[in-house]
Amino acid sequence: MTKSIFTFVVFAVAALPLSAHAGDVKAGQDLALDRAKGNCLACHTIKGGDAPSSVGRELAGIKRRFPNRADLVEILMDEPKRNLVAPMPPFGRNRILTRSEIEKIIDFLYTL
Amino acid sequence: MIRALFLAGGIALLSLPAVAATQAEAEAALAAAQAAETEAVAAKAAWTPTEAALTAAQKALAAGNWDEAKAAADEALALAKLSVEQANEEKTSWRNAVFR
Amino acid sequence: MRHRFVATLNSVCALLLAMAPAKADGGTVPEAERTAFQAFFFAKFPKVAKEDFGNGPYAVNEGMRKQWQEIMQFPPYELALDEGHAEWDKPFANGKHYADCFDNKGEGIRQTYPRFIAATGQVETLEGAINRCRVENGEPPLEPMTGTMASLAAVMSQSSRGKPFAITIPDDPRALAAYERGKEFFYSRKGQLGVSCASCHMSPAGERMRGDILAPALGILAGMPIYRSDWGSMGTSIRRISTCSSQTRALPLKADDEEYRNLEYFMSYMSNGIPIVGPGTRP
Repeated sequence: MTKSIFTFVVFAVAALPLSAHAGDVKAGQDLALDRAKGNCLACHTIKGGDAPSSVGRELAGIKRRFPNRADLVEILMDEPKRNLVAPMPPFGRNRILTRSEIEKIIDFLYTL
Repeated sequence: MIRALFLAGGIALLSLPAVAATQAEAEAALAAAQAAETEAVAAKAAWTPTEAALTAAQKALAAGNWDEAKAAADEALALAKLSVEQANEEKTSWRNAVFR
Repeated sequence: MRHRFVATLNSVCALLLAMAPAKADGGTVPEAERTAFQAFFFAKFPKVAKEDFGNGPYAVNEGMRKQWQEIMQFPPYELALDEGHAEWDKPFANGKHYADCFDNKGEGIRQTYPRFIAATGQVETLEGAINRCRVENGEPPLEPMTGTMASLAAVMSQSSRGKPFAITIPDDPRALAAYERGKEFFYSRKGQLGVSCASCHMSPAGERMRGDILAPALGILAGMPIYRSDWGSMGTSIRRISTCSSQTRALPLKADDEEYRNLEYFMSYMSNGIPIVGPGTRP
């Protein structure tokens, strides 16, 4: 009985969402650069990227520009809602990216 | 290392559908998705990823993968509905973008 | 919060505007809109001459322009022009020619297309007119995006080079409605990417998307049809529009869909006064 409870608790704790760590940042970078996913380089310049795109602002100094993580979530979920003429797709709303993918991309953005 | 193993196990357990999909459920999901997409096409609002999800669902169904078929069909249904929603919303909100 | 207020204000204004009577031509809503539309681009690109807008990315980017000048030493649409002339001169089975279907034997008229056709109550594009000519003379319609159709469009465009777009909206509520539908299409977000034509070809015009430069919407159809390197072949305006639908992850409509024809009508009217430069070339 005790062993079952112990196993259950270990599984439950292990399944709790983790805060950002190296794995999520790498996953977030892959998602950002994947043309079928974020495809961020299509419009944004990112250091280390291979495209000098200028439709959107360069993705740099993100921590300074967006200290409030919730703002980045809003932007990636549905930027046209915040800015009616935004050329940025509503990634979350139109299911281009899942919420989980967006969180990982934000973890990556915060390293820029 | 042990933590990682437990983590993987926990996530694996949580990822499995509570109950495996039956053939009937997968077929029903596909029919619902196809109906929604027909509506989207009629509204000239259809998206290409919806079509891709429908194709994936049909393939999985043909191969007897009910879980996969239902998941793809559910995604197609969600996309088809979103595409019609966007078109309906845009019927009024497009004016906000007109350059004056 | 502010955007919601602006949105509501815009909706109220739109409602009031829609209720106001609008004549269909001269000193009216479309003309005012055209003036504003062009003013936006003339202000954004003060160094670009009117006659250059039809060259799209090459008009607004120095680096692209240099590449273009090299390409234009051997224009990639020359073969299409040769094919187009040969096809144009060939009689139909009934002995008639393309020239019999058009004003001025089809020469120097491309800038007046698309046209609103009273008999059908619909907009007819250049390619639509070419196919109607064929069908009325017992010939099967051409696939409208490439091949022979593009070659014929190239010939007609070349004969109009330098002539400014001169699209008319006749005093017919159906014509005005077609213009309005085209305008709605231009500004409506579409596809899974949820962007409109305006999203990319107004404010971001001239900006870089990976290796491409976004063309300004003004004059964008004046350069058609195009030899597009990405296709390795010619394409009419409808081919490019259809490709754009796919690129935004929208399922393309049928090539002769009324929505696309209305879009071309609106975009061409917005470009009245901009000279034809087609056929053209693109990356």
